[in-house]
Order: sequence, then structure tokens, then C-alpha cells
Amino acid sequence: MKNIADHLFDILENSVKAGANKVLVKFSFNKKKFFCQIIDSGPGIESADVIDPFVTSRQTRRVGLGLPLLKKTADDTQGYLKINRLNKKGGTNLEFLINMSHIDAKPFGDLTRVFIDALIAWPQMNLKLMTQNNSTFNTIIDSEKIKEDLGEEALYSSQIQNYIYKTIKKELITKGIDDHFSIEGKK
Amino acid sequence: MKNLEELKMMREKVKKDLQLRSGKFRVKIVIGMGSCGIAAGAREVMSEFLDLIEKNKKMDIAVTASGCYGFCAQEPMIHVYIEDNPPVIYRNVDPNAAKEIFTNHILNNKVVEKYLFSKGKK
Repeated sequence: MKNIADHLFDILENSVKAGANKVLVKFSFNKKKFFCQIIDSGPGIESADVIDPFVTSRQTRRVGLGLPLLKKTADDTQGYLKINRLNKKGGTNLEFLINMSHIDAKPFGDLTRVFIDALIAWPQMNLKLMTQNNSTFNTIIDSEKIKEDLGEEALYSSQIQNYIYKTIKKELITKGIDDHFSIEGKK
Repeated sequence: MKNLEELKMMREKVKKDLQLRSGKFRVKIVIGMGSCGIAAGAREVMSEFLDLIEKNKKMDIAVTASGCYGFCAQEPMIHVYIEDNPPVIYRNVDPNAAKEIFTNHILNNKVVEKYLFSKGKK
């Protein structure tokens, strides 16, 4: 994985493959610490051992590297990766923190592109993105709402994709998140 | 979501495009996007295909993603399904390969042997 965007896409893929139809992504960026929380409506994980590469639900191979790689990316910068079941019914809650000022941090990559790619690749999934504003989280996009109001095929239009892209990008830039290691001067 | 109003206005503009879009797809491109695919650069390949579709104004091509096929060393892999043709699987696809596959295979129905992994039966 070259950047954090790749990791994020990988986690979203995990959620989709686990059968989740709703995924909520929350970002916050304070004092050069990038925090990301991903909550999905899937069946939830069986055990907390998923970070072990030899624990996987897949059938094609006996190893799974997605989460172990993310854990390494986070640990390398003195951050963390936490993953747990949301409640008895299911749902997975995954959180990671990456310290972007650390010398071993990976660049962000195009985080905005992840959302557009996800909307195209898995049209059945409802994706919601929130970013932190002081102590509250504000919704930036909600694909369920867009589909409801504009019709399901609206997301196939490249003009609408571009519009969503610009909206997310602008929001991330105001938070100090760019494609590299954050914008200097922003907190 | 204060931008929803703007989006609604935009929808009116792109209605025509969407009508073409909602018809049947002639071609389906499936990109392997497991951890292995992503690490090998599958997202760049997907962006490239979306760009090419946009540039060539081909509304009858769908791009979707799948998980790992179990041949991680050959990633990024893509499946190309063209109507009435056997499915074709390509391996080690980078953005340049994507261009070649798009022009030769998807537009002109000539399989690109250089990146061929396997061909299905009709």
C-alpha cells in the first residue's frame, strides 16, 4: 500500500465483502494526527484476532494482509489500530490514528478519489462521510440521500461525480488534509 | 448537505446522459480490488478506465470491482466481459496496459496477448 488512501479503500472493500450495505466514515485531523473511524452495518467480526495475518474469513487463501498492513502503517507512526464489534447484532467499528508528522508516515494519497471509486465500484453500498468540526461531526456527503433525491443512476454521471469530488476535496483542504503529508500552517 | 439543491439542478442537465447510462451495458470491466490488487495499483487502473470511458464517450461500458481472485502475484487483474464474447482475464495491468486493452480489445475486439492471463469458453 503506497498511501493511506489505498488502506482506506481496502477497509471499505472488507466491509462490502462482509455484506455491509451502510458504511460511515469519520475523519478528524488535529495537531497533525489523522484519526479515522469506519463503522459498517456488516455481520461484525468473530474475534479480535483479525489483525493476525493468519486469521481470515476468506476461502481462497489462509492469510489476509489488509488489516495487518494497516496496523503496521499506524504503529510505525506511534499511532494505533483498534477494531471491535459494535453490538450483539453485528456491525464493525474500526479506528486508526496516524501521526502525520512522524518520519515514517505514509502520504495521504487522494482520499477524495477513494469515495468516488467506492461509489462507482459498489453502487449498492451507502456511504456517508463526516468530518470533525470542533466537537461535532458534520456530514459532507451521504450517498443514500443523493440516491433518494436524485435517483440511483445519478451517481453514474461523471458531472455529478466531479461535483461530489470537488465538494469533498474542498472540505479536506480546509481541514489541512492534502494528497501528501498535510498542509503546513494548518493545525 | 446544503449542496443537494445544486446537485438537483445538475441532475436536470445530465438527464440525457443518464438515460443512455441506464440502458444495457455492452461491456463490463471487473477490476480485482482485494488488498493485493490495491497494493499493486488497481486503483490507478480503475481511474484510467473511467477516464478512457469519459474521453471516448462510451456510455455502454460498466466498471465494477471484485475481491481477490487468488492469484495475487499477477495483480492488478481485470476481467473483460463483452456481450456475446467469451470472458477474458488480463494480468499485471497498469495504466498503460489499460490504454492498450481499451483501444484494442474493448473498442476493436482484439485480445491483447501481452497481458493475457486466460480466455474463457463462449
